[in-house]
Amino acid sequence: MKLWIIAILTLALLVGASCLVGVVDLFAGNLDATMVLAVSRLPRTFAALLAGAGLALAGVVVQMSVQNRLVEPGLVGTPESAMLGLLAVTLLAPGATLMVKMSVAAMSALIGTLGFLWLARNVPRRDPVLLPLVGLIYGGIIGAAVLWLAWTTDLVQYIGIWQSGEFSGALRGRYELLWVVAGIAGLLWLSADRITILGLGEDTARSLGLDYRQTLLTGLVLVSVIVSVVVVSVGSIPFVGLVVPNVVSRWRGDNLRRNLPLVAWLGGCMVLACDIIGRLIRYPYEVPAGTIFAVLGAGIFLWLLYAAPRRAHG
Amino acid sequence: MKTTLATLALAVIPTFALAQTVEVETATGRMAVPAAPKIIVALDLAAIDDLSALGLKVAGVPDITPPAYLAEAFANTKIVGTLFEPDFEALAVMAPDLIVAGGRSQTQVAPLSQIAPTIDMTISGDEFFTQAEARVVAYGEIFGLEGKATTLLADLDAAVAKSKLAAEGKGDVLILLTNGGKVSAYGDDSRFGWLHTALGLPEAYPDLTAETHGEAVSFEFVADVNPDWIFVVDRGAAIGQDGEAAAVTLDNPLVAGTNAGKAGQIVYLDSARLYLSGGGIQSMMGTIAEVTSAFAPDAS
Repeated sequence: MKLWIIAILTLALLVGASCLVGVVDLFAGNLDATMVLAVSRLPRTFAALLAGAGLALAGVVVQMSVQNRLVEPGLVGTPESAMLGLLAVTLLAPGATLMVKMSVAAMSALIGTLGFLWLARNVPRRDPVLLPLVGLIYGGIIGAAVLWLAWTTDLVQYIGIWQSGEFSGALRGRYELLWVVAGIAGLLWLSADRITILGLGEDTARSLGLDYRQTLLTGLVLVSVIVSVVVVSVGSIPFVGLVVPNVVSRWRGDNLRRNLPLVAWLGGCMVLACDIIGRLIRYPYEVPAGTIFAVLGAGIFLWLLYAAPRRAHG
Repeated sequence: MKTTLATLALAVIPTFALAQTVEVETATGRMAVPAAPKIIVALDLAAIDDLSALGLKVAGVPDITPPAYLAEAFANTKIVGTLFEPDFEALAVMAPDLIVAGGRSQTQVAPLSQIAPTIDMTISGDEFFTQAEARVVAYGEIFGLEGKATTLLADLDAAVAKSKLAAEGKGDVLILLTNGGKVSAYGDDSRFGWLHTALGLPEAYPDLTAETHGEAVSFEFVADVNPDWIFVVDRGAAIGQDGEAAAVTLDNPLVAGTNAGKAGQIVYLDSARLYLSGGGIQSMMGTIAEVTSAFAPDAS
């Protein structure tokens, strides 16, 4: 139970800090503090928490789907595929509603992720590093296609807002789509056991009576929706799905039903912390939270790989 | 005999040289350029703008949808690559007498020089306005249209003076560029900075020392700076996208609460003109007219 107290305290501390940190001085009185909180600070805080939680959970699902802990959506081409879909909609139907853009992005993300899965079947499993490398190249190729398309249509700066996740645009009325992530988190938690079995591999999963293909597809649909929502609303934040699940599994083992809430919590807290740092580092200007996370995340990941003490858990 | 020849040579060579090249100011210093070139390729929209203002027709242009006022300059021209990447083969076939590069094609000046005489006419940085004027002077010299160039610059000076008068005492200005749902702020040494320096518009946030692409800011920043005027460049509109208009991006309580928001002093500038062909004389005349009419709707 002590863990929950720590978790709630950390969350409360970060939310409090996030509400207090910003360009407008809440106590100076020249602007209505309640308005600033309601319009800017709280939406931004929720957006960071939801995006972080969503990406971390998406990381778990992808890792279980290919039985490799070194991958995450950003390493299997999911955000790049979402961007390709978004760019296509932007070019073909610039006036399309957000829902249409979202759906196309999610569909495109799903196709891209399935493409990786198909590739992954033919990658030898002996070396765990091989699969992330394949994913890196795969994502790189799709990313290059996105960049080429944007380049020829002079949209390079436009795709820039999807590529570097940041929360300065998250205002009341602009971020609410991210609450979809909360719903998906609930669904994932309900199906935590199935995802655990998914992680045992196709043969074992089938022998345990799991509809492997359906579970896999459902999981990847949820991943695609999460990633697309995040890319559309705030931009892609790499490494969250890689770092967070690995930290949690090192710390607490692999009981997903118990750990999924923890994964969501840590993902949300870390991204929110990065956003707060991003607001302060070049105050009053903004540094993307995605950039901060990439720096911190890389550090944490290296520490995990080389220095962290291993602890066994059941 | 010898002296006659020498005299003849002395008499001939300078005229010969004069007919062949002329030395003008470019972004990379003074350069000898072939005088009165016939076939001209311009890869930068500001250059195409200046040349068409001088009544010259370019033969080759980059592949881009130009701002509406340049449509005529683009009619019946050959496409020679993109803004960033010239099509070297097409250029070699065309064999132009002069290539005018700059801005987005600045990095291509060296390779282009191997095909034809190429000048870098980039306009950038805190000397933006002076450079823009210098380019018009240079084009006038190259094509022997000094008189026309002087007239154009006199018109520009008059427009600037009128704009300054209209803006005087009307309050400070924050220049914002919107891109999707996000905003960046631009200072007086940025690519839009000449609005501050040349037109004498006071900066709402003087500490802003923005680079070319501006500083990413939050809407809270805009609220806190509380400018009297907001000049908006819609990056989306500049590239022909109406999906997420700048007005939608700025339609929030934080922006609405500023002096500019309350007084309805948020001015949407023609961004294609400012963003794509910024620095061209027609582009600047158009933008200045927009600014003037924003400050003094009755005067214009």
